[in-house]
Amino acid sequence: MANDAPKLVRLTGIGKRYGGVLACQDVDFDIRAGEVHALLGENGAGKSTLMKILSGDITDYSGEIAIEGETVRFGGPVDAQRAGIAMIHQELDLVPGLSIAENLYLGREPRTRIGTVDGKQMRVWTADLLRRIGIDIDPRRPVGELRVGEQQLVTIARALSLDAKVLIMDEPTSALSTAEVEQLFGVIDELRREGAGIVYISHRMDEIGRVADRATVLRNGRIVEEFDARKMTAEQAAEAMVGRPVRTLFQASHGEAGEELLRVENLTVHPRRPRSGRKEPAGISLTVRRGEIVGLAGLLGAGRTELLETLYGAGSAGRWDGRVLVDGVDVRPRGPRAALAKGIAFVPEDRRVSGLVLEHSVLANTVLSIVDKLRTAGVVVSRRAEHEHAAESATRLRVKLSSLADPVGTLSGGNQQKVVFGRMLLTKPKLLLLDEPTRGVDINAKAEIYELLGEIAGQGIGVLLASSELAELIGVCDRVVVLRGGRNVRELRTSEIGEADLLAATMGETAGGGVR
Amino acid sequence: MSLQPDVRAKRKVDWRETLFSFQSFFGLIAVFVAAIVFSPRRNGEILFLTSDNLFNVVRAVSEIGIIAIGMTFVILVGGIDLSVGAVLGLSAVGSAVLLVHDDLGVVPAVLIVLAVGLVFGLLQGMASALFGIQAFIVTLAGLQIARGLARIWSDGQGVAIAYGDGPNEAPVTFSLLGERTFGGVVPIPALIFAGLAVLAILFLRTSAFSRHLYAVGGNEKAARLSGVPVNRVKIIVFGISGLLAALAGIVHAGQLNQGSPNDGAGYELDAIAAVVIGGTALTGGRGSVVGTVTGALLLGVLNNILALNNIDANVQLLIKGLVIVAAAALQRLRPTS
Amino acid sequence: MNRLGKGTSDVKRSIAATACLMLAVTACGTTSQNSGKGPATPAKCEGPGGKYVIGMSQANVAEPYRQRMDDDIRSAAAKVPQFEVKFADAAQDNAKQVSDVENFLTQQINLLIISPNEATPLTAVVKKAYDKGIPVLVLDRKVDGDAYTSFIGADNRDIGRQAGKYVAEKLLPNGGKLVELKGLPGSTPAQERSEGFHETLGSKVQIVATGVGDWLREKGQQQLDAILKANAEVDVVYSHNDPMAEGAYLAAKAAGRESKIKFIGIDALPIPSGGVKAVEQGRISATFTYPTGGKEAIAAAKTLLVDCKQVEKKQTLPTQLITKENAERVYREANG
Repeated sequence: MANDAPKLVRLTGIGKRYGGVLACQDVDFDIRAGEVHALLGENGAGKSTLMKILSGDITDYSGEIAIEGETVRFGGPVDAQRAGIAMIHQELDLVPGLSIAENLYLGREPRTRIGTVDGKQMRVWTADLLRRIGIDIDPRRPVGELRVGEQQLVTIARALSLDAKVLIMDEPTSALSTAEVEQLFGVIDELRREGAGIVYISHRMDEIGRVADRATVLRNGRIVEEFDARKMTAEQAAEAMVGRPVRTLFQASHGEAGEELLRVENLTVHPRRPRSGRKEPAGISLTVRRGEIVGLAGLLGAGRTELLETLYGAGSAGRWDGRVLVDGVDVRPRGPRAALAKGIAFVPEDRRVSGLVLEHSVLANTVLSIVDKLRTAGVVVSRRAEHEHAAESATRLRVKLSSLADPVGTLSGGNQQKVVFGRMLLTKPKLLLLDEPTRGVDINAKAEIYELLGEIAGQGIGVLLASSELAELIGVCDRVVVLRGGRNVRELRTSEIGEADLLAATMGETAGGGVR
Repeated sequence: MSLQPDVRAKRKVDWRETLFSFQSFFGLIAVFVAAIVFSPRRNGEILFLTSDNLFNVVRAVSEIGIIAIGMTFVILVGGIDLSVGAVLGLSAVGSAVLLVHDDLGVVPAVLIVLAVGLVFGLLQGMASALFGIQAFIVTLAGLQIARGLARIWSDGQGVAIAYGDGPNEAPVTFSLLGERTFGGVVPIPALIFAGLAVLAILFLRTSAFSRHLYAVGGNEKAARLSGVPVNRVKIIVFGISGLLAALAGIVHAGQLNQGSPNDGAGYELDAIAAVVIGGTALTGGRGSVVGTVTGALLLGVLNNILALNNIDANVQLLIKGLVIVAAAALQRLRPTS
Repeated sequence: MNRLGKGTSDVKRSIAATACLMLAVTACGTTSQNSGKGPATPAKCEGPGGKYVIGMSQANVAEPYRQRMDDDIRSAAAKVPQFEVKFADAAQDNAKQVSDVENFLTQQINLLIISPNEATPLTAVVKKAYDKGIPVLVLDRKVDGDAYTSFIGADNRDIGRQAGKYVAEKLLPNGGKLVELKGLPGSTPAQERSEGFHETLGSKVQIVATGVGDWLREKGQQQLDAILKANAEVDVVYSHNDPMAEGAYLAAKAAGRESKIKFIGIDALPIPSGGVKAVEQGRISATFTYPTGGKEAIAAAKTLLVDCKQVEKKQTLPTQLITKENAERVYREANG
């Protein structure tokens, strides 16, 4: 349908070189009006570079950009915005202390007649935009108080407020719950009808099939293939991205589960200082057996992260009701250190913020949790032991790196995540708590992480995995516990269900109530 | 990039990074060379290079150097300690009062003063870590409290230290702090500074604690979730800073034969300057004691050469300020990962 | 950059680097100078034909009195062609003043003038200079012991006595009511200026109130403000220095009583904001000079270095009464 539509933007022969590395080479790419054009590729394939060129972030490139047939050269992001191109960054670039409305209109605040900021007008516009993307939050709330998912929706609202002709979305759903994703897709459909062009970058194949018209695959800075997004299969896309056939994403069964490892009975947390946006456990009961992978499903705000943090001793301080038993013994870790000592390990949601010391070496990050156990004499750490453990972990987890001394921030997302995994596995845990372990990870690394999870479970470690990706929950887990409002509402055996069942379960009674 | 994991410990050498990691070192060399060039001469002799003068330089920075080493620990976890100058004053007063008024021996007096500094630092660390008050605020309050304690302990007067065996006289051993050893050449405070620097470098390079310390400074949240005892680390670094400030105070009293409640005023800023010139990031997680020692020596050489040329005291301040800004500006040029 | 993940050789390297650094900063010195702990050798006197560098180590130039001291030395030395004076300012920091003197020694000065910030902390370094055979002139504040060539300063007790005598004989011969405004408690000048004053004041004058002004103008004003409210009758205010006297004058003026009260100060700095001008302009009735000794120090230096003669170990500077009659002339002469 969109093939005859006018081309809003045309990129011809784009190239960009970083030192000796070609990030982009001879790329032709176009965006038509009323079309969602997916851009696929592994991390480092050149997607971000290409989009930064289009959005004016990168100004020294070779090749040509034409907007509606007219050649342009942007001097910076502001030029691109004026030309009607808006980018929603993967990293959230919001000012936490300012309200949603202030963030949306930062630098272009509406003025009253006497020149002061017209806060009322700003709030009205903001409320309209928020309604349009289907969230109901007071525009006066500071962005810092919002959850990551909500913040992501705010950045999308900000892009919408620019009335852009071309919208670039880089992993827009990475922090969104299933329902919010649907909401966003509704907005995208509407924009498409209005004739906007959208570039959609994502690692999630299911989303691409659902939302995109065309899909272009980049590999090593070049375009390798273009698909009709609606007919493309996940295997086709993966093969094009990786350049060779990929093994199946999900592993076969990882063996029989053993005896009960974790038992949570009617766990309720009464935080001393309740924080808005947090859904503390309010009567959760579940079990995890040795060698079993149990999924935690639920909408954003269902309390998945809060449950994991509570079990790890990293949740809100306050009174507990109910019990948590590990191997039949009551456990209430006072903090992460105590949890690790009891064999409970945790891989947090946002590895850049909560997982890694980005400018420190892979080695330092890998052994951080065990470094005080590697002492030889007195306070001195054995460098050899440090190095051996880190090297062993990197090898086992197939971390791609040139040296253990590299800053961990220079690794790709998947490899960074493996470093966090490696750190936790070095503590020899009995129970591994995972929060969105494959977010922002490319497809190859994803497959490796799934394989690793199988191995971990095979060794008798119990895994509790929170995820927003339904395919992941169904493909990896033995059972899925569905949370809603801080309590467990359903439990499903993944061998018996499909994604649609799980989606319905997470949304509960309100399912079908006009998600689209 | 190969698909096989490669876990060699050596990494390719980035010459820019190498250059920047020795930035303060080059700065020191530059200032040193400039000092030789601009040094006044007498009978063909370069006065700056006389061993007497060079040892004077190290002696003059030894107190700042000692507290700057403690400050480095605090700044590495992303904190700051504004109380060190006041703790130095408190310790100088404490040494004088204990030795002269209370007629204590050198060992008990020194131990008591060190303990006071340590406890003072630990308390500040607890206030900061356990109640979540910013280090800047806590130590700003600590500065006032330490000054107040020093005034109370000394009745607001400088306490002169006279040496001898009689009542209200300090043991002669204490006066060694103002002496020079190795044939009257090497000042004792310079030796203490050097020994402490080596200890601190070894400690930061090899200890498990330092791994935790760098992690807390680099990303506190990640450190906490990795099982690093974040609060304990923070409390201990403030303890170290207080302890070293107390040691500097003892050296101060020994060098000047007096403990005065206003001693050490403004020393915290010189110490911070030494740390910053040494390339330690105020945001934490990156830096070294080698850098700090270099930074302190750089400031010392700069002070010395300006004084030898009789540059006006006000102009001296100006030049020192510009050097600090230049060092900070160089930090910004550093390649980031 | 991270410090971890490097070889052990790196630890050694960095320690070696530090060691080198310290060595470089110290051990590569050319010649070691004789630290000379022997008895004081007399100054090498080359007579009028020589050239002499004098180091002047000032405690704190921010105080007008000490600025004036430096100025006096500068202008007096300008008249001696053989002299070159270098100035250092310790900004009230004992440790800095120690370094200042050390740096003067490195520069191989021929004579040291020092106005110490405090006595004890500077005693050792002054002795070090003296032991090297450099003549040392100590101004205003003493150092401990006797390892210096000459002390030049005024006698605060004597100034106090003269002030007491002036009040008793000239201002209130028939008795009256007096307020004393003291300097910083515990400081020697405040003590001595008070004790001397009481020695000669006699019994006819009644001291109705005593205030503590810490040497500061604004404190003097505050104190007298309160005292005037409590005492309906005040004839004379004796202030330990001029700034407090000026503050007291302001307080009296605010109460409309400035013409009924006489104000006496001490210091009489011949500078625009000083006591001499205040007397000339009628705000203060009298003040006593507290000489800086700058001129006398250069004279002593000339005696030692140019004339090759000895100087007295202690030179007490006389004070001078400044009143409306001589203020204008004294100011002119001091700045002439």
